[in-house]
Amino acid sequence: MTKAMNVRDVQHPILPRATAEELSRQRAVVSLRKLLNARVRSENVRRFHDEGAPAFAARHQRQPQSPDDISAALFESPGYRMWSAANRAAQEMIWVSVGEPIFRDRDRMQAAARELAASPDRKGSLTLDPSYDPSPELAGTDVHLQPGGYARDDGPDDVVAGAFYETGGNVFSFGQGAGKSDSKAGVIFRLLEETFAGFEPKRILDLGCSAGAASAAYADRFPNAEVHAIDIGAGMLRYAHARAEALDVAVHFSQMDAADLKYPDDHFDLVVSHNMLHEIGADKRRRAMAEALRVVRPGGLVIFQDVDTRFAPSDVHRVEKNWDTRFNGEIFWQTYTESDLEADMLAAGFTAADVAEHNVSAVSNLNRWYVISGRKPVAAA
Amino acid sequence: MTSATDAIHAVIAAGRGDRPTSLDNVETERVLAIALALLVELSVSNERIDRLEREVADLRGATLDEFRGAPLTDTAIAERQEALEALQLRVLRVMVDPRGAEAL
Repeated sequence: MTKAMNVRDVQHPILPRATAEELSRQRAVVSLRKLLNARVRSENVRRFHDEGAPAFAARHQRQPQSPDDISAALFESPGYRMWSAANRAAQEMIWVSVGEPIFRDRDRMQAAARELAASPDRKGSLTLDPSYDPSPELAGTDVHLQPGGYARDDGPDDVVAGAFYETGGNVFSFGQGAGKSDSKAGVIFRLLEETFAGFEPKRILDLGCSAGAASAAYADRFPNAEVHAIDIGAGMLRYAHARAEALDVAVHFSQMDAADLKYPDDHFDLVVSHNMLHEIGADKRRRAMAEALRVVRPGGLVIFQDVDTRFAPSDVHRVEKNWDTRFNGEIFWQTYTESDLEADMLAAGFTAADVAEHNVSAVSNLNRWYVISGRKPVAAA
Repeated sequence: MTSATDAIHAVIAAGRGDRPTSLDNVETERVLAIALALLVELSVSNERIDRLEREVADLRGATLDEFRGAPLTDTAIAERQEALEALQLRVLRVMVDPRGAEAL
């Protein structure tokens, strides 16, 4: 298989120059989260059956049935409550551990980003839309507790949101067991090779690109393709643009809503998103799917990759995974997990024969990813 | 901005939204969060000590185990024990202090 860019192991001047002590602190948070995930969270379903459900039954004179019942039963377990409190504290410490070097080194990072964005040798572009008012449902929330959220924008040179996303995302993912060769784009490269052999996109659109890690990986993997990427946050996009330039790949970044694309019909061969579906509400998700179908060419592919919560083997596992909705600022996590995404794709205009759900393994660890793909019918041209 | 405290204050100021709690009271949850933060800081200190030990052992031409296991003088053993007891007393002070709790 073609090797994907090591998006979690790249060096570029927009990254904060963390001190040895700051890196040590980040490693400690990674290690703490690994322990919590592997040795504490892994017992939560057992805690439900052994402690939570009996306590719920004693209190309510009935067994827990609904998702709300299951959630209440989990909180009857002291072990679950301790895990929940510790996991919330650890999640906050991710952002403190990466935020300290970001704010300490902010002036240098901004200057570096400015220089790269203005370089006469730049390969890509950045188009911000001052009239765009970032989606309030996202802009008003510190998603996964990231300080200031996706749409944070502190001024014309601000890159803080992107720096938070890349560095905090790495600390989070390493704590989930991901290695430095982890790559969500790499998962899609493998899917293309294994399931859509011979598909060679010439024009690619990355929806909800955040700090642009996947966008740069697509430009690296398909050097002859024209790669575009959109996001709602100016701070994200400035960072993503400078990052791509530093990595010497051409990506054209634009501030835009995935539910309201400013591209012409039939324009792209491949439209992808990574971990976007769980960050948007049902209405926006359905409009984004319809927009993706509109801008992809007949015969082209639309691929949404996202978290694996939809593969939960039981209601208890599913409710346990919904912890993020209340405690981690993931306001659409449960909506994403429980929605019929295949029905949404069909409602958007894809045909049943062209839509497929995939349960795929991560590139470098035991984690799984959910993927739903759709090919635009040629007859729809 | 160059100072660590300014940077930490900036992170704190940037956070939005309520902090939902999981335990029976907010005070307990905050103490847990403080304990976990101290665990992280202890890890950082341990890494610094580990680096120093390795450097010194290397300078002495000893292995790390030889350096760590080198016998101490009786005076050093007594001083170390006194420091240990004082540390434990500082940490457990509220359990040793005879004052009872006064309700609000």
